Amino acid sequence: MNKVIVAGAALAVAMTGTTFADTLKIGVATSQTGGLATYDGPVIEGLKLGVDEINAAGGIGGTLIIELVQKDVRSDAAQTAIAAQELVDEGAKVLILPCDADPALAAISVVSSAEVPAISTCASSPTLPMIGGDYMFANFPGDNVQATVSAQWAYDQGLETAYIVYSPDSQYTSMPLYFADVMQALGGEVIGKDTYTLGQQDFSAIATRIANMDPQPDVVMTSAYEPDFPSFIKALRAAGVTSQVIGSDGIDSPTTFAIGAAADQLVFTTAGHPTENSSMAAFDAKYEATYGKESQTVFNAIGYDLAKVIEAASLAAGPDADSKALRDAIANLENVQGATSLITYKGTNGMPVREVTLIGVTNGERKLIGQPSPNPAIIPAPRMQ
Amino acid sequence: MDLFLQQTVNAFALGGTYALLALGLAVVFSIMGLINFAHGELMTIAGYTLMYCGLAGISFVFAVPLALLASMLAAVLMERIAFRPVRNSSGATMLVTSFAVAMILQVLFQNFISVRSQAVNIPDVISGSILIGGMVIGTNKLLAIVSTIVMLVLLDRFLSKQKYGIAMRAAAEDFAVARLMGIRANTVIAGAFAISGLLAGVAAILWVSQRASVDPLMGFTPVLKAFIAAILGGLGSLRGAVAGGFLLGFIEIYLAAFLPAELQEFRDPIGLGIVVLVLVMRPNGLLPAASLKAEKV
Repeated sequence: MNKVIVAGAALAVAMTGTTFADTLKIGVATSQTGGLATYDGPVIEGLKLGVDEINAAGGIGGTLIIELVQKDVRSDAAQTAIAAQELVDEGAKVLILPCDADPALAAISVVSSAEVPAISTCASSPTLPMIGGDYMFANFPGDNVQATVSAQWAYDQGLETAYIVYSPDSQYTSMPLYFADVMQALGGEVIGKDTYTLGQQDFSAIATRIANMDPQPDVVMTSAYEPDFPSFIKALRAAGVTSQVIGSDGIDSPTTFAIGAAADQLVFTTAGHPTENSSMAAFDAKYEATYGKESQTVFNAIGYDLAKVIEAASLAAGPDADSKALRDAIANLENVQGATSLITYKGTNGMPVREVTLIGVTNGERKLIGQPSPNPAIIPAPRMQ
Repeated sequence: MDLFLQQTVNAFALGGTYALLALGLAVVFSIMGLINFAHGELMTIAGYTLMYCGLAGISFVFAVPLALLASMLAAVLMERIAFRPVRNSSGATMLVTSFAVAMILQVLFQNFISVRSQAVNIPDVISGSILIGGMVIGTNKLLAIVSTIVMLVLLDRFLSKQKYGIAMRAAAEDFAVARLMGIRANTVIAGAFAISGLLAGVAAILWVSQRASVDPLMGFTPVLKAFIAAILGGLGSLRGAVAGGFLLGFIEIYLAAFLPAELQEFRDPIGLGIVVLVLVMRPNGLLPAASLKAEKV
């Protein structure tokens, strides 16, 4: 009998504990394993750093502790939908979804029927919030914006003929189509296109075709990422093509800087760069102090941005806000200072306005080329692939 | 014409790599009736060995034999630990076991090495190209073609001249009778795995030198291609595996090279369609094994 009373009392204590503690539950349904772990892994590292920092200061606004509940979705679309549902059932008020638009989209029905705002860790396809509806947000400069920045740069360098290599397999890898649009809008010319399959190992047929063109294209643009990108650029250089190569954020990774001679003079767009005294330099220092290693990719800082966005939204909506109010708060955020840049959701459909950074690779080192603002008039409209 | 010749060189290089991979599967299948889907993970192991050698400052020249040794050793261990206990079970059991081995290894790589791609330092010589008769040919293409030829010649000599090689052929022909003749099953099977490990190692070096990185899931694509090539050539037949590998390489490269631009998106389905067509006409593969009793139903 005594035991029952003790157990009952313990249960009561436990229940009051969970009912009245001020916590904001964030459901993290991302890829700890599989192909997308390359991106989700570092983002979650950065997110945890941000959340720990907020919690150490007493929580959001000094009162609301953030609780992260994680589930591995194994880079699988179906698993993402299942994990999202489980997390919503467990009471998550905000969901974090995998990096790529395609698995993130798998969770649409869960997200919109539960009316819980969801942010993809680093998907950059502008179609994500378009298809995803009111509750779907991205956390990265859009593909169309990145392509506008890189095409403008190429055109300004006098590189007027372009060859694009894209893959229709995912939203992200079709970014070169935006590049082609912008190039043509600027007055440049697209002299060839090629497609590849995700995970394609051999690019020699494409490389040989480009090498046999006369005249050679001034610039070759692709948004292939590892492991495809290193294969591609090595095949291209081995075939004797010397054109400027432009890539995108997916290759902001240590493997790119380790390619060697083949990747020299490569240029790509990404979400930030630790210039002196910048917020990203401050983040990188914090990262090194916490994890005991240098941050090797911008995706760490992107994770910290996520923590800041959620903090700002929760502050705006108040500690008792439900998930619907949180969604409205996210949609109205303006100039949130993240690690990589200022982040604005207000006036967008969920694709944030953020800075785009152009990085050049010289002798295996990262060199900042610039952080130009894209001309809004030539940013192509999101396209469904 | 130049373009055609150059694409043919590309096809030979890719086909050669596929041939080595398919051969690795076929060597084991011909003796045990097991399609080892963990063959790709042997490549990953060779790749990680290259990576760690690079980190330790060991030159590529020494890293290559170490990587080959690592994948051979891993293949033999795989047989001893995972496949020997199920050797006499049904084909399905062995197949599922090989999937399990592959997954366990992938998770181990992800947890103990990294989920992220790791860069592998490849000497610039291999990434370069040379000019032969007006054609620019990548050195890694040449490397692929030369090592395929060397491996095929060595394997052929081993199987036709060496005692163990002859024993393996006998076992492939009829395992029960071979054992009655005094051939040790364990030795022959371990030998088959060692050879498949060696072939996986050579293929891994060619594969990794192309992509300059290694990740936990790297083995999936190559083993899939090897499987297609092995089926195409005729399961269990070594010559068939080589023929299947080359045919698959030629199909992929020629389609990528000469299919009109608007059809390029459908390259893979068209390629696999051709494979299916070949199998419709030759259901047992291009050069089926004599011992394969499969019939067209």
